[in-house]
Amino acid sequence: MRTGRLTLISGILLLLLGLGATGYFGGRLLLDKRDNGFIAALVAGQDIATSADDPAPVIFARLFFLATRDRLEEAQPLANQLAHGEDPRLAAMALYTIGNARLRLAIDHLGVNRIDPATPLVRLAKQNYRQALVIQPDFWDAKYNLDIAMRLVRDFPQVELSGEEIPPEAAKRLWTDLPGLPRGLP
Amino acid sequence: MGIPRRARPQLSALLLALLAAPCVVPGVAPGVAQAQLRSVELYAPRPFGYLIGDTIGHTVEIALDAPFTLDPASLPQPRSVDYWLDLREVRLDDQGVSEGVHRYRLDLVYQSFYAALEPKRLDIPAFTLSARDGDHRVSVAVPAWSFLMSPLREIVSTGQGAVMALRPDIVPRPIPTRGTTLALAASAGVALAGLLVIAWQMGWGPFGRRRARPFARAARQVRAAIGAMRHGSVSSAPSSTSLHRHAGYKQALQTLHRAFDATAGRGVFAEDLAGFFADHASFSAAETEIRHLFEASRRAFFGGDVLGAEAVFPPAELAALAGRLRAIERGSA
Repeated sequence: MRTGRLTLISGILLLLLGLGATGYFGGRLLLDKRDNGFIAALVAGQDIATSADDPAPVIFARLFFLATRDRLEEAQPLANQLAHGEDPRLAAMALYTIGNARLRLAIDHLGVNRIDPATPLVRLAKQNYRQALVIQPDFWDAKYNLDIAMRLVRDFPQVELSGEEIPPEAAKRLWTDLPGLPRGLP
Repeated sequence: MGIPRRARPQLSALLLALLAAPCVVPGVAPGVAQAQLRSVELYAPRPFGYLIGDTIGHTVEIALDAPFTLDPASLPQPRSVDYWLDLREVRLDDQGVSEGVHRYRLDLVYQSFYAALEPKRLDIPAFTLSARDGDHRVSVAVPAWSFLMSPLREIVSTGQGAVMALRPDIVPRPIPTRGTTLALAASAGVALAGLLVIAWQMGWGPFGRRRARPFARAARQVRAAIGAMRHGSVSSAPSSTSLHRHAGYKQALQTLHRAFDATAGRGVFAEDLAGFFADHASFSAAETEIRHLFEASRRAFFGGDVLGAEAVFPPAELAALAGRLRAIERGSA
């Protein structure tokens, strides 16, 4: 009789525990699936607004959406939030993404000889890449793009060769505004 | 530790220590002022092949004469050492005093952001720590270290496509749900197991049939009781033997009656047998034996004539009937 009651109690405990865990994981799975829907929609190009309370992967998807559309003013707060978040991989990816957006924009400016707006963009992009590498030193894509940003001045003549004239004083200004550049040419 | 030793104990550091040491305070044993600093050794990884953003780990082993301790305030702080060099981590491990020598291990992690166009020799600068014993101060010089920084890309792009092709953005990936799905399946399994335990215990559903087999249990118990009768007849004294036999026989009868009661859902007496066979037709197959059984138990319980009962229905047949009834109940007879 006693063992019977014990069996019954352990059965009820097992059932309650199982139901509780099922409810918890089921809820989480539903939330994750919903968030994955948002991520997929953002990647597909739908403009879905997010809030600061959303999970980091959703915020990163929003950052990706904004950064790939050159909406840097809106993307920057999200990058800041992710850079100070708990997931170091996402933090490095967020910094890399916004750095890429800036560098792309700067290269576009340089392509049409607009040196002045390009300079601060390159400088900020370099900061972003560098922060990403501080978080994740083996982030190869960040290394590569940081190298491009660092050499932008030397790559400049090639842009010039491709057709556009760059005023020498503009190039000079770019030099002085890029303190991270290695000194001396080969 | 697998890393080549780069710098031997520095003579200059020793000299510096001697020069920097103040005069010997009276009462302090001679020799204290001479060799406060035993050695500074810098262990560093390969001095070549570094790319932009790489980290470089240095280990400095410092041995001081015992009363001297390293001044923690003189440790370098994580900072930007140069425009291309960051000091990321500084960790001092005090390894304690053994044989009059106080040993320290200083771990440093640098990160270089130099964008080299060609392999370029760079220096991580030297720095000086200080050790003290009361008012005595000794400088501990950690040597500079030079290494080759390598370029990541060619100077003039010869590849296909745009001149400044950036590495692409990282497309956001969905949140992994595999772990949660597995956890969900596991918890559903736990809940199901709990439900099965309860159902088994309560005799619900398919477990009900297990519960509703009174003759299966009765057959087991009858066999045990009859077995005990035979066993008792060998080992016990004659007078107690008959008592024992009678008790075992009556117990076996009782067990079977309880099984009939449980099957019918109410008490079954000889008068009720007709109704019982009407409700449970399959048992009619053993009607003769069952009537014999009821006759025997009437004698045993109401007539007090156990021996007479055994004559009507011998114990061996009782066991056989129990087995037959079990088979009928199972539906395999």
